Amino acid sequence: MTSRTVQGWKELLTELRAVLQADDGGGDRQWQAIGVLLNRIAATPDSLSGLARAGRLLERADLGSASVSAHGQLAAGPEQVLVTITGTGTLGEFSPALIAQCARHGLLARPTLTDFGGYRRCLLDPPAGDDLTLCVLDSSLIAEQLPSPWRIEDAEQVLASTAAELTELVSGYLRQSSATLVLNTVPLPAELSRQLVDLRSRARLAIAWRALDSAILQLALDHDRVVAIDVNSLVALGGPVADSRMALYAKVNLGPELLGRFAQDVAHLARAMRGRTKKVLVLDLDGTMWDGILAEDGPAGIEPASTLRGEAFERFQRVVRQLAAQGILLAVSSKNDHETVLSVLNEHPDMTLRAADFAAIEANWDPKPAALRRIAECTGLDCSSFVFIDDSPAECGAVTALLPEVAVIEVDGEPALHVASLLADGWFDVRILTEDDLERSSHYRRKPERDRLRAAATSTADYLRELAVEVRLAPAAEHELARISQLTQRTNQFNLITERLQPDEVREAAADPNQLVLAVHSSDRFGDDGLVGAVFATLSGPELVLRNVILSCRVFERGIEQAVISSLLGYAKQMGLTTVRAHYRPSSKNARFAELYPSLGFQSLGDDGGTRCFRHDLAVIAAPPALLRLVFEQNGLLCG
Amino acid sequence: MRLTQDEFIEILQEELDLPLQPGDLDGDLDAVVHWDSMHVLTLVREIERQTSRRVLVGRVMMARTLQEIYQAVAE
Repeated sequence: MTSRTVQGWKELLTELRAVLQADDGGGDRQWQAIGVLLNRIAATPDSLSGLARAGRLLERADLGSASVSAHGQLAAGPEQVLVTITGTGTLGEFSPALIAQCARHGLLARPTLTDFGGYRRCLLDPPAGDDLTLCVLDSSLIAEQLPSPWRIEDAEQVLASTAAELTELVSGYLRQSSATLVLNTVPLPAELSRQLVDLRSRARLAIAWRALDSAILQLALDHDRVVAIDVNSLVALGGPVADSRMALYAKVNLGPELLGRFAQDVAHLARAMRGRTKKVLVLDLDGTMWDGILAEDGPAGIEPASTLRGEAFERFQRVVRQLAAQGILLAVSSKNDHETVLSVLNEHPDMTLRAADFAAIEANWDPKPAALRRIAECTGLDCSSFVFIDDSPAECGAVTALLPEVAVIEVDGEPALHVASLLADGWFDVRILTEDDLERSSHYRRKPERDRLRAAATSTADYLRELAVEVRLAPAAEHELARISQLTQRTNQFNLITERLQPDEVREAAADPNQLVLAVHSSDRFGDDGLVGAVFATLSGPELVLRNVILSCRVFERGIEQAVISSLLGYAKQMGLTTVRAHYRPSSKNARFAELYPSLGFQSLGDDGGTRCFRHDLAVIAAPPALLRLVFEQNGLLCG
Repeated sequence: MRLTQDEFIEILQEELDLPLQPGDLDGDLDAVVHWDSMHVLTLVREIERQTSRRVLVGRVMMARTLQEIYQAVAE
């Protein structure tokens, strides 16, 4: 167990100023250094104040303008998130907090504040081009409508009519904007309820108030593009909702600490919308998963449960299992002997997690960055989708230094805080959990069997023949639309134009008679992989335009993409079309598939504002790979 | 604990990251580089934290110069 003094955020701010002054125009390395520093600030005591300060420095540095290149395209640099902030109070402190929280995840937030109190106008006439609109609500929404003096009946009536008005405003907003709207539950201030002297009326006020909160939360259930952040649960983390003086004199109805936590949740949403949700949790063992050091104390000497401190580790393991059950892949990176670790994972009576719960186990004496790279190879996922948790500052530092794209959670000698540390940053938050998420770990668990088959095969062709891949290409069914939206948001490597679509945008495309939304399913001799890809295409006169093709990385290198595209070419020809056009927009993650279309006989038409365009004249269509079977269900398709 | 003017200036520079120029203390707040009205809130919180004394926020918000803010918080 180590004890150490934590570096305070003031020293880290000095480092941040130096990085900002280096001024290399918002380049990737500067941006990565900023992200690392902000994540270190986030791990200090009173981190929200530190992040607010850092956010103000970033706001002043105006990094956004530097990352827009001369031709108006986003140059290499941070991905931007355009946000309008409106609401019922003074929200000037929200912007720096949001900028800092987004920068922690590599995103450059560009917030615009509306005029004070302009939320109605903003929702009725939403600004164009936003990714997110935040409508930050507070109790003034209700308090300012109460007569003086007021009775409980007045409050009940105001709360009910406000819920109805919000529902109307949200419907109007959704009709006019394609952005995602963020609302929040509203903390009930004691200063309001204590104005009622009888306890029965206070209870009625609390009930009516919760009904407003429920109505706000229900809006998020009813509409794909509405998210409700439960600010009440953030209040429960501590700190006052507001300072009465600041509320009265400056209309700061939500204080900086609460806005800081709120901004943190909004940044998690932005991260999910930008495909940056983490997918893999890599866990250290000694001091992280159990008390003790296996190499010194032996299997009998470690404590994963049963003892006082052991119980804290057991609780941590249960929470890890809870995440795994929702589709997060687990992996071990531990400096220990492989065999000993396996024996503990398989046989120790106090372990909650077992060897079979992990998609990869790296137990050896290699440096951890190397272990993480091997886990990336083994799972087929990029290190940027990893969260690494360890109690050793040296290991955390080594991973941050060599793999800055990995989210690092440094826990300490107090295991009772492991769970809070793991969950604080919502690294795995998604908008909607799909059936596929629940099945994910079993898909990956079959990977070792496939790897053994590949190792035994004499050639790739031999391997694919043995694997017996079957692909089903079919118009997306209603129940598959959420999963397809999720694929657009989570897939980075094989996402040919990296277009992120909300569920209702997928639904709209699927309902359009001129558009095709196809789901790609695959299976092999080891089992069903489920819905692993999607095709978005448009019929435009005599042409079929392949707008985007997406394929999950877990089914790469099986010829599925070639089979899908070549059968679409065949379909176009069969329908009497003359041409198939296709697009590829380079991103930092999809370079591996830059040559896919040319390799399938498409001609390059050059570059159109950062998107490469291709054309296939359907004269000679490459045969689909012979080693897999593809069924193309054309029922209900265009002209089909 | 009463806040000295030097301590006040240090808070402006260190906590609000204001690059103060000569004349900024007495000039209108709008002319102070990087000043925005949200700074009043941070300033009040920081002064209260350092002095453990309550600042009369309404008075501070009426001020039009940094000097007037100092007078209000040093009362």
